[in-house]
Amino acid sequence: MVTAEPKLPSELPISQPRHVGKDSARMEDPLLLTGKVEYGNDIRTPGMLHAAILRSPHAHARIKSMDISRAENLPGVAAVLTGKEVKDWSRPVFGVPEGWTGYALAVEKTHWVGEPVAVIAASDRYIAEDALELIDVEYEPLEPVVDVFRAVSASAPKVLEGKDSNVAYDRRFVFGDVDGAFASADLIVREQFRWHRSSGNPIETCVCIADWNPFNGMLTLRGGHRSPHLILPALVISLGVSSQQVRIIQSPLGGSFGVKTFARYVVLIALMAKKLGGRPVKWTEDRIEHLIGNSSHAWDRHYDCELALKCDGTIAGMKMQLVDDLGAFSEWLAIGMLLKPLLCLGSCYHIANVDYSCKGVITNKTPQGPLRAFGLPPHFWVIEQLIEIAAKKLGLESNEVRRRNFIKKDQFPYVSPSGNVYDSGDYEASLSLLLSKAGYDELRREQQTARAQGRLLGIGVVSSIEPGLTGPPMLALASPRIFSRTSSPEGILLRIDAFGKVIAELGFPPGGQSQHSFVRQILADYLGVALEDVQVITVDSLSMQPSTGPISSSMAIALSGAVLGAAARLTDKLKRAAAVMLEANVDDVELFDGQFRVRGVPGKSLVVAQVAQFMMARPDLLPEGIDGNPQATFVWNPPDRTIPDEKGFGRYSVTAAGAQHLCMVEVDRETGQVKILKYVMVDDCGVRLNPSVVRGMLMGGMAHGVGTALLEEYVYDDQGQMLTSSYMDYLMPTIMEVPAAEEHEMCTPSPISPLGVKGVGEGALHTTPAAVLCALNDALEPLGVRITEAPMTPLRIWKALQTTPSH
Amino acid sequence: MKPAKFDYYDPTNLDEALTLLDTHQGDGKVLAGGQSLMPLLNMRLARPNIVVDINRIKELNYVRASDGGVAIGALARQRALQTEKLIAERVPILQEAAYYIAHPQIRSRGTICGSIAHADPAAELPALALALDAEMTLTGAKAARTVGAETFFRNFFTTALEANEILTEVRFPAQSKDSVWSVLEISRRHGDFAIAGIVAGLTLDSDRQIIRRARLVYFGVGPTPIRVKAAEDALIGQAAAEPVFEAAAQSAKQGIDPSNDIHASEEYRRAVAATLTKRALRAALQKLGKS
Amino acid sequence: MATTRTVKLRVNGVAYEHTVEARKTLVDFLREDVGLTGTNVGCEHGVCGACTILMNGEAVRSCIMLAAQADGADLMTVEGLAKPGGELHPIQESFREKHGLQCGFCTPGFLMTTYELLSKHPDADEAEMKEWLSGHLCRCTGYQDILESVKLAASRLRNR
Repeated sequence: MVTAEPKLPSELPISQPRHVGKDSARMEDPLLLTGKVEYGNDIRTPGMLHAAILRSPHAHARIKSMDISRAENLPGVAAVLTGKEVKDWSRPVFGVPEGWTGYALAVEKTHWVGEPVAVIAASDRYIAEDALELIDVEYEPLEPVVDVFRAVSASAPKVLEGKDSNVAYDRRFVFGDVDGAFASADLIVREQFRWHRSSGNPIETCVCIADWNPFNGMLTLRGGHRSPHLILPALVISLGVSSQQVRIIQSPLGGSFGVKTFARYVVLIALMAKKLGGRPVKWTEDRIEHLIGNSSHAWDRHYDCELALKCDGTIAGMKMQLVDDLGAFSEWLAIGMLLKPLLCLGSCYHIANVDYSCKGVITNKTPQGPLRAFGLPPHFWVIEQLIEIAAKKLGLESNEVRRRNFIKKDQFPYVSPSGNVYDSGDYEASLSLLLSKAGYDELRREQQTARAQGRLLGIGVVSSIEPGLTGPPMLALASPRIFSRTSSPEGILLRIDAFGKVIAELGFPPGGQSQHSFVRQILADYLGVALEDVQVITVDSLSMQPSTGPISSSMAIALSGAVLGAAARLTDKLKRAAAVMLEANVDDVELFDGQFRVRGVPGKSLVVAQVAQFMMARPDLLPEGIDGNPQATFVWNPPDRTIPDEKGFGRYSVTAAGAQHLCMVEVDRETGQVKILKYVMVDDCGVRLNPSVVRGMLMGGMAHGVGTALLEEYVYDDQGQMLTSSYMDYLMPTIMEVPAAEEHEMCTPSPISPLGVKGVGEGALHTTPAAVLCALNDALEPLGVRITEAPMTPLRIWKALQTTPSH
Repeated sequence: MKPAKFDYYDPTNLDEALTLLDTHQGDGKVLAGGQSLMPLLNMRLARPNIVVDINRIKELNYVRASDGGVAIGALARQRALQTEKLIAERVPILQEAAYYIAHPQIRSRGTICGSIAHADPAAELPALALALDAEMTLTGAKAARTVGAETFFRNFFTTALEANEILTEVRFPAQSKDSVWSVLEISRRHGDFAIAGIVAGLTLDSDRQIIRRARLVYFGVGPTPIRVKAAEDALIGQAAAEPVFEAAAQSAKQGIDPSNDIHASEEYRRAVAATLTKRALRAALQKLGKS
Repeated sequence: MATTRTVKLRVNGVAYEHTVEARKTLVDFLREDVGLTGTNVGCEHGVCGACTILMNGEAVRSCIMLAAQADGADLMTVEGLAKPGGELHPIQESFREKHGLQCGFCTPGFLMTTYELLSKHPDADEAEMKEWLSGHLCRCTGYQDILESVKLAASRLRNR
């Protein structure tokens, strides 16, 4: 009999949570603060070589010949890996939809500037880079395709050999009666938007150490791997290796933001290891490689949208067309970023009739890859602008339009047009809280005063949804063969050692989200032990339970589910032993406040350690079927997800966190520079297991959003050369560019997820670009100027300002 | 990103350094602060066969009084701009400008002379040198010569320095007591190179009504820092007032030579240079207690 | 040989001597030859600040210095902050308390800059703190908790 999963902290077997819901010092910190943590690049293994990658200088070229002899003969060089070997030894890198990728090295032609062309392994990275310069490659440049609209035309060169088109994915989803909604609308607004690519850019780049033993066939991978079980299928498919012969030993990560699956490079370095025949090789990505060559750019979109409304501001329907420049391959799971908007098509608003069409196009640029929030920030950035435009045209206050369209509190669980369900929320209350905390009326007065002085002050108030725990099934819309699954397992092994200490074994490494700490918090409360008596470790991919890892704002949900499930199983097992010790019927034994007791009988009680030690010492006294091992595993899976039908109707995610942000900016009309004067967030991520961790996630996501909104952009010239290939030109925000923000909590617990939590790891990035844009356009409104391109750089703003008659 | 191989020398006296540069016939690079050169070496965009590290030539590390002004040796770090009393007293605009120069962690190693020798047209120090009529001492194995700022900066990253010379000293005359100066720049982030910047100096007559002297030097808007005399002429003899500033701003717009890049267009740079002209002039005036 | 150099220096009070290629950067020297991997490499062109250490008391970017340039110098890295017995430095304690780190990769650089800042400007105001901290990139925290950590550290050090 397994105890039911607690849906709120108050349902934990404890009178008052001591740790869950409270700030608590992180167990990760001591090693991080003292520099003792071992990140991937800190690892040294005996005989380890160092890899460097030769990359294509051309966006599109045929490789006519390659002479590696000079490189091979450089003292210190152990081996050179070429495309021919990669083709012989592997299959193209994993991508969805299938068939739109290339090999881990360019074979007959190169498809983007930065695409790997050869790999050197040498005694150190300095020599490896010297050797790169000794590889002679003869290229025959081909016409590159860098404009996405050119790419879709019949006459455009085809990026991938053997394909007769550059369109990897083209799908339309229609929900409700869109034609009817538009026919009966009082107002239709239409606008086009442009969102340029950026990427996660964690401060730690990718690191992989590969060791492929030819004698026992074991492929051992070390380094910053975020989700070993997630990339395992890609390795099995590409390398033809048998899954039980792969061991991935993960290091703590220096951040990921989507990047640290990097499956193509894991395949590549594994192949280098294969060539080396038993010598380990480490590849540490340098920053330029990361900017140009890491297939993790996202999102490169052209939107054409229409919103249909009634004259009272209620939204009748929406049409959204988007074309996304995927780069040279539809690699890994990038296509999912076009599909994720289906989970929250109408954001916080009830929009019953939606026509969503998305096209993923191949060009000679760096391939896209996962980026935090996985395709949603542009979606909300567009919707919020459409609402602003519509409100102006209708002569209504935009917050009033938002309120009229909000999904109401009593409509939860809310079934959205695509069938995806939002579990809980109270957007009206969140908005009211936001406006009150921000002093909205006072801000509007401040704006009036400023406008009278000729200053451009603007306020933006926006909303967003953060779906928690996605993955399959939305990927089934791109590859039903592989992704017709509802599972995203997260497993844990929990045990009590001989001294009564609790040990939890996880399947993914620390990466900044404080996972290990909050597992400890939950276990300490559940089992009634001291925090210091709980150890949380990450085990390797062969030892771990099935695990998806911290993707898609999943961690609080999935990991809580796993911990609670394992704790419940363990408790049930311990109760059987406790019943023997207490000479009671097992059904009368309960665990509460860390004590095993007979219900209703005060007096004798036992702590977890005592029961565990009894189990281990006296298995002869245990009932039939209970072994002397205080241990349990549990694999949590998201409940209630479905595989979508051909129309895209399905239940895709588990929770729906919601956010409302307010941003106030001032625009310097002569320079186009934007200064953020005020930033306030209200975030509803359900129950907060560790408030300071949640706050940290939100502040970090907001900073990332400021970067995406105002600073970060990969720029290509018309030959496909990347012009933003260093941190001199790819601009990340510093403390000076990020406003001091306020953050306030709204909590509508999830009725579905463990402890009522909703994910928050992708967090504010969903919302901040929309908030900044709406504030910016509010500032420019008196001039009749509107910005529809991100990032909203001073140059773009200034150019728009030149078009006004008043200028 | 690791440097290509090079021969490395770190002489302890200037003669040795100069002999090395001379012997290697232009194949040597001088390493002082390294904040510009090392990134180029790491990226292999610079591949000298010889690196002559001058950091151990102690005699080059000084900030001294010189003819009422300040003489700054090749090894004086950019942090000295903020810490040296002589600079605060005699050329305070240098101290003010330090705020724009990168970050404290760069200024600990970056040198004042190094920035001037590197001559990034978007950097502050070359523009300050031009604005303040600095003089540079270029020292070679056989001789030393003085070059004024006006002729020192030739093109993008190109100066009068020969490959076998070291910029051993820059001398800034004292700001005259009746002058006021201001430095402003537009950049994408704090500490970044300027998209456009200005060093503006004004001397008014004793009544503080009429502009007697003006200096307007722009950076980030041409292959070198640019002094726009026409804009200065629009100010001289005129009242220190908005319409006059506007005229100077319009003149400046035409007098610079900006290019297009991913951060700013030529037009944008012209417009912003005009804006900065007015703002810098206003800021300079404010220092006089006049608005 | 002009392509190699013997580098003798002190790091966190301990003397080291290694012969390396002249082109070897200081951060690589510290991580590989000295064996102190707490200082991280983030960009190798002096922008992100992850490699920041103290040389003769001043914060410098070790990724854009040659190891040879530190010959004879006194360096301090993050490993030199805490007491060997396990007692964290007040700056480290403050970062811990104020959640000034998440993944920790940029943290050693921030700690070293904070150490110099508060040694030389113990009464630094917020503007001055931000000026110094602006030389570091962090992708996780959004900086506010880092600023709070530095403020707490300042008050702790003042009251020590």
